Amino acid sequence: MSVFFLYPAFLIGLLAASLPILIHLLNRRKLQRIQFPAVRFILLSQKRISRSYRLRHWLLLALRTLAVVFLVLLLANPIFQTGAGLFAGGGPVSLVVLLDNSLSMTWSSDGNGFKQAKDAARLLISALNDDDRAALLPTNITGKENVRLKSQKDVLTRELDAIEIADGTANLTAALEKAYELLSEPAGQKEIRLITDMGLTGWDRFSVAALKRVDPSIPVKLIRVGRKEQPLNGSIKEIRLGGQTVGVNLPLQIEATLSNFGDKEIEDVLVQLSIDGQNKEQKLATVPPKGETSVSFQTRVGQAGAHGGQVSLKKEGLAGNTVTGFTLDAQDKLKVLVVDGDPQTSLVQSESFFLSRALNPAGEQGSSLFLPTVIVPDALNSAALDPYQVVILCNVAVLPDAFAANLQNFVRQGGGLLIFSGDKIQPDNYNQKLAQSLPADLREKKTGPEANGEKIDKFDLAHPALQIFTDPILSDSLKSSRFWGYTRANPRGKTALISLANGDPLLLEQKIGAGRVILVTTSADRDWSDLPLKTAYLPLLQSLGQHLAGGKRGHLDAGTPVNAAKEISLPPGFVGKSLRVTKPNKQDTEVPIVGEKDRALATITDNDRAGIYRVVLPAGAAKESGAPQIYAVNRPFLESRLEEISERELQAKLAPIRAEVIPIEALKEGGKRTDLALPLLALLIMTLLAEGWLGQRF
Amino acid sequence: MADGRKNYFDPKVLAGISNLALRARWVVEGLMSGVHKSRAKGFSVEFEEHREYSPGDEIRRIDWKALGKFDRYFIKEYEDETNLRAYLLLDASASMNYASDGITKFDYACTLTASLAYLILKQQDAAGVVTFSNRVEAFIPPRAKRDYLTQILHALENRGPGGETNVGKILDDIAGQIKRRGLIILVSDLLDEPAQILKGLRQFRFKGNDVIVFHVMDPAELNLPFDGNILFEDLEAANLRVMTDPRTIRTTYQQVINEFIADMRKQCHDNAIDYQLISTATPLDRALASYLSWRG
Repeated sequence: MSVFFLYPAFLIGLLAASLPILIHLLNRRKLQRIQFPAVRFILLSQKRISRSYRLRHWLLLALRTLAVVFLVLLLANPIFQTGAGLFAGGGPVSLVVLLDNSLSMTWSSDGNGFKQAKDAARLLISALNDDDRAALLPTNITGKENVRLKSQKDVLTRELDAIEIADGTANLTAALEKAYELLSEPAGQKEIRLITDMGLTGWDRFSVAALKRVDPSIPVKLIRVGRKEQPLNGSIKEIRLGGQTVGVNLPLQIEATLSNFGDKEIEDVLVQLSIDGQNKEQKLATVPPKGETSVSFQTRVGQAGAHGGQVSLKKEGLAGNTVTGFTLDAQDKLKVLVVDGDPQTSLVQSESFFLSRALNPAGEQGSSLFLPTVIVPDALNSAALDPYQVVILCNVAVLPDAFAANLQNFVRQGGGLLIFSGDKIQPDNYNQKLAQSLPADLREKKTGPEANGEKIDKFDLAHPALQIFTDPILSDSLKSSRFWGYTRANPRGKTALISLANGDPLLLEQKIGAGRVILVTTSADRDWSDLPLKTAYLPLLQSLGQHLAGGKRGHLDAGTPVNAAKEISLPPGFVGKSLRVTKPNKQDTEVPIVGEKDRALATITDNDRAGIYRVVLPAGAAKESGAPQIYAVNRPFLESRLEEISERELQAKLAPIRAEVIPIEALKEGGKRTDLALPLLALLIMTLLAEGWLGQRF
Repeated sequence: MADGRKNYFDPKVLAGISNLALRARWVVEGLMSGVHKSRAKGFSVEFEEHREYSPGDEIRRIDWKALGKFDRYFIKEYEDETNLRAYLLLDASASMNYASDGITKFDYACTLTASLAYLILKQQDAAGVVTFSNRVEAFIPPRAKRDYLTQILHALENRGPGGETNVGKILDDIAGQIKRRGLIILVSDLLDEPAQILKGLRQFRFKGNDVIVFHVMDPAELNLPFDGNILFEDLEAANLRVMTDPRTIRTTYQQVINEFIADMRKQCHDNAIDYQLISTATPLDRALASYLSWRG
């Protein structure tokens, strides 16, 4: 039930209602003095009439004020509306129906909310008169849609039928802006009806200040799709990788965080993990009210490359998004050739013992990302380097000429070389054979008692291979290591990645062609340092190995929210080309690759549906950049939150726009509009007659 | 001619005549020219006192019986050779000094009093005048001499309105001073306590006097014809003032004033007092006619 005005601009005339009061006050100020003999009779009369006079006086003032108010209201032409008020009287209507098709509508009114909303829109369309015009807009729009007001009900109905629930959050700013744009043309009555579940998430993003066009004189009527009772309300908040990497046939730990928005406990919800469409593992979880629970899955992927996966929830009566996707980039085994320069009968005494264990801790084939092969220097001349991604030299005294040439060629083509020093190494041989491949010129060896060993002073956390030391435990472990023997080196213009307290470099890097060379000036075993006994040794070796093999590849991408842009960075050579994106509904789009600073960038904006998107990169791009070939787009987490905005909050958020909330049931009851002009005219005449009659009595 | 006569009594015309004697004469002559002159009824020879004979006195007035008793000549003095002694009591309080349009109540009352005195003397009756406010201002005892009018007019003209009204008390005082019965004519706006006024009037009645009350009021006092917001200040009591919009109380005021008049009229009637309400807009002949009707 409400009242609105056809010509609200006239309401400014209500200020004139103060005129009778002002005139009354001015009259009181004009005072005339008269000397009179019979004052006592005046006093007597005044006493006698004072009560009834005052009443009449105020009544007269009230009648005059009322007359002005009635006249102004009459000019503003009020329309009284009961129920949701369909359209009768008051001139032709220009109506914009905004239909909330955000994801949360899926669960409104026990799953019937969207159907109810469509029925309400249908009712509004059917109530239009021939000279009325209307437009239908879903709230999940970009604002660029070509929409216009029309009077053909059949067209409007077809448009309504075509609207589906979107995977994203309502863009109420764009929807309202579009509505005001449509209603900018002159019309007898203008109205905006928003049929919505009042979901808080959509309104959280809304601000009147962000609207480029507002007309506060146009009322916004919100038709509220209600809920019968609070359902179980939860969703998957986050999916993340439990371990360090994703490797072929390596143990893979995936953690999912479940969130409960409701006041009821979500008990024994079935949480399923599937990768590449295959169910990998499932667990039961209980999520406390307004709380969160983590579920951890252990699995493996058998093939290298991109994999699509999802975590899904299954629970009767659970309202909220139950499926969240992710993508995995599984890295294949890294083959490492370890050359042990000081092999011993006892493996523990061998130069490569600790290093081999660090790369493959379990010692079993396939249990680690690394597949180390240990050889002795005598086998160097016959060693083929092609099957390996990384070669590690441990205290190898001299490099045979042919091997040195092979090694440099291997590095230039993208291989990784890790050199450990030791007591057997001949610096001049290295300086000569590897020439420009070494990051530093090797000098004399420096050894002393263990107790006088140097400690690490600083290390470059920005380097990709050393970022693991942001973990304080690993960092402390590395810093606690003592180095009593090392080969001094003169860096070739490079700053050491790790330095000792006396300033001598411990770890240096040099990029050669497509590959890298890392020099460690101490030994790989315990001869010159206690580093192999420290916790930091294993992650350091694995991280250096991955870095030298071309960077960290195995990872999990938890995806991007619906309608958010996905950026793919490529080498600069791909500017001007394009990539093709296939959406979950098999629809293809071409995305141009543009230059931005020193790289090429493709920005994919058409992510309006949840699911796995496939990217076909230009030839060679995948190998050069490691860019993803698939990515997941997920429904916004907060859209599962079924909390509603209160009417008061909504009105405050929409101010100065006049907003009224009508339950959807009221619309079904129909309602009626009555033009109040005639009753007001009658009231005005009666007021004027009463004023005239009462005025005569004074 | 009728129109010409009407002018004699028009208060506005009279207001233009400054000489009270002329004004009174004009009124009375105008009035008398329209009525038949009535013959005087009887001849009063009321003995007043003896005085010793002195040469020149009429021999026929010597009281021979007194000569027998006292062996001296006494002349019998008669008060007046008249059949009526009239006391004209004129209210000269400040409240009488009010005129909404033209003549003030006091001027009107003076003219009326003078006209009555002239009429009474012309009919060879005795007329006296008392002017008063809250005290007796002038007391001219009644005499039937034709030239006595001069003294009466002198007393009236010498006194302007002023002071508060205290009609009741003054009537009491005057009643004590009047020894002989006669006619009492009170000309006043009666703006005093009605009970006090009536108590005073009743004193006259107890002593066998006839009483006529001319209640003089300005038309504005009767109708309150003002508009707008007005601060009314009392003519007598300086601290009595009231602010009002007369439109709002006019009807009630008229009710109140009519109730007051009706009460006075009724009380007077109950005490055999002749009461006449005279508006200063009323031609004077009507006031005089009421006296003449009483006089028969």
